[in-house]
Amino acid sequence: MSDLTAYRAKAAAWLESMVPTYGKDARKGLSVEEDLAVARKYQRAKFDAGYAGINWPTEYGGQGLGHLEKVTFDTEEMKHGFPAFYFGISLGMPIPVLMQFGGDKEFVKERVLKALKGEEIWCQLFSEPSGGSDLAGLRTKAEVDGNGWKINGQKIWTSWAQYCDYGVIVVRTDPNVPKHKGLTYFWVDMKAPGVTVVPIKLVGGDSHVNEVFFDDVKITDDHRMSPVGGGFAVAIATLMIERYVATDSAGFGPHLDLFVDLAKDTELNGKPAIADGRIRQQIARNYAMRNGLQSITARAMAMMQAGMVPGPEGSLNKLVAVRSRQKLSELAIDLQGSDGFHYDDHASQKENWTSSWINAPTGRIAGGSDETLLNTIAEKILGLPQDHRPDKGVPFNQIPA
Amino acid sequence: MSILYDEGQQAIATESRRVLEARVNKDELLPLLETTGKYHDGFWTTAKEQGWTALALPEAYGGLDLGLVELGLIAHQAGRSLSGAPFLTGSFGAAKAIELYGSDEQKAKYLPGLASGETIGAIAFASGSSALPVLPSVTVTDHQLNGTKTGVAGGLSADIAVVYANGPGMPVLVVADLANVTRNAIDSFDNSRLYADLVFDATPAETLVVGGAARDAALHILALQAVITAHEQTGGAEAMMEIARDYAVTRRAFGQVIGAFQSIKHRIAELYGFVELARANCIHAASREGQPDFITAAAAARISATEAYDTASRDCVQIHGGMGVTWELGLHLHTRRARSLAIEQGNLLFWEDILVDRLTGEAA
Repeated sequence: MSDLTAYRAKAAAWLESMVPTYGKDARKGLSVEEDLAVARKYQRAKFDAGYAGINWPTEYGGQGLGHLEKVTFDTEEMKHGFPAFYFGISLGMPIPVLMQFGGDKEFVKERVLKALKGEEIWCQLFSEPSGGSDLAGLRTKAEVDGNGWKINGQKIWTSWAQYCDYGVIVVRTDPNVPKHKGLTYFWVDMKAPGVTVVPIKLVGGDSHVNEVFFDDVKITDDHRMSPVGGGFAVAIATLMIERYVATDSAGFGPHLDLFVDLAKDTELNGKPAIADGRIRQQIARNYAMRNGLQSITARAMAMMQAGMVPGPEGSLNKLVAVRSRQKLSELAIDLQGSDGFHYDDHASQKENWTSSWINAPTGRIAGGSDETLLNTIAEKILGLPQDHRPDKGVPFNQIPA
Repeated sequence: MSILYDEGQQAIATESRRVLEARVNKDELLPLLETTGKYHDGFWTTAKEQGWTALALPEAYGGLDLGLVELGLIAHQAGRSLSGAPFLTGSFGAAKAIELYGSDEQKAKYLPGLASGETIGAIAFASGSSALPVLPSVTVTDHQLNGTKTGVAGGLSADIAVVYANGPGMPVLVVADLANVTRNAIDSFDNSRLYADLVFDATPAETLVVGGAARDAALHILALQAVITAHEQTGGAEAMMEIARDYAVTRRAFGQVIGAFQSIKHRIAELYGFVELARANCIHAASREGQPDFITAAAAARISATEAYDTASRDCVQIHGGMGVTWELGLHLHTRRARSLAIEQGNLLFWEDILVDRLTGEAA
């Protein structure tokens, strides 16, 4: 048995033992606040068992292992519906960036440890009402204020901000230079005066994303994590940290087996729907697509194990999987006909086709829209030119709004 | 079997690509479209010289004892360069049928010739719309074949064929010598595939396997071939994606290269997705030979490779505008090949059913 196989087996056994306490059935019916409280305990249990910060340096409280172990653990963890998602952003991007770019080492260590234990949560304040995909077009500004800075403006789509203790933020410090060059990266205390968090209710009924308003929020210069005007590079570094993540060929929707079961149990024209060619074709095409994605992931893992750098095809997963899940979910609802109207906004999008369907658009927009991902593939992998960008090289304050 | 290519396998890919790019070009392939019965000699000579015909056959019979992974890599390159004859897959399928289901005597008789490429093999399983009919219309009684198999790839040049026949009352897999068989050439949209209707008239046939086992055997052979064909399709799709990209970064319209328009660049980025999914499925399937899920993996590879090649050839032509539909540019060589390969060894509908039968537990 290879080391990784042994690691996987041990992690799987530990996770299995956590199911009765932290699994989805154990948490059924809890309010978000109650669920978060359970989630913090789960995160603490992970920390105590050595499954938090798996690939982080030991000096910060991590385990000092590799990407492989982390992805292996995450893949096993995903099978059970544990409440790890509250900490996904926090531990995925802001904290690693803090370790890399944070100044005061003792302060950083304390924050990292508390985040790993689930005691503190960090958010990422990037997107704004005027630009999500166009990150560098952001308008929230920080002006020099004595020895520090004063922040004014608005962020949006900030996951879990209402429960966060801290956040990392990119703001405009100089509007007189082209847009990428006038940005600076800071961390902020989410409880500071002038920070207002307003949850946004999404179509699925939940409110995990927020608007965050900054009104004369004053911070000292030691909050700065990039050179003045050098914020864009750190922002990109933030987005690059999670290059190798556990993927889900189901696009974070139901497993294909659930569709097969539905088709077996549903009658169409007096026969099981599984005998219908239209249904069979969709099953076959979706299986081939998902199997391809899984094979890409397996190959990336094998390459990492062999000390090689995986190919760029790993970037296809979200693009391909989520939109396919969206269509398959539509078909699953269609298949149920007049029995398909039921809706339960607490149902899991991994188990319920209606929940999967109504939440699918979020998956195609968040973390890089389909269109942005296609641009990235075209430009970075295939060498196609950038789109025409009229704002290129133009000082930010001269770009037509 | 690892899903990472080792150095030897990578060398096979590099070398076969180099040789094929040097020896096969569109100006030689285009005339083959307008005549029946001709294939690209240089391609087949190269395949024999390079030992590709022997690659996946046992050493005891002149083979090199390699497998689907290696032959798949060759097929991928052949797909990129447009293979000039259908024999690599046909002979491989015939040889595997004899290797896996034939007697020692039959192996000794046929395999060395197939390994050297001196003997050309074909597979004749299909009956019209059915890749593997419940009871084939060609019958075999007293070791004699009678009836017609339509649209046999390589049928105009093959020396032997492995035929799926009605035995009677049960399926039988036999080897037939084609020396005295009537071959009616099909004037097709992809003539170097050498499609023919084979008319058997008391043709001597040697039995390989009989009854239910014959159907399983035939499906297994189709799956082995399908994995090779899927590699070839993926190679073709990759070539079309690259041709589209190369055109999009040079052709200018409205003051910029057309690849700067999202309608073009996204189309090509989508092709990248099709190609990589097909490639990943091919690598996976090749590594599953001999495993219980091999047929499932082969079906998935076949489905995604067919989707990839059809889509890539469709979109590549579209991106070229008027030039794309000219005879001279030759993109239609791929468009044609995408369709001919889609049908050989069972179409999408066949493999979708095979796959779903396995996913639902309907197949044994």
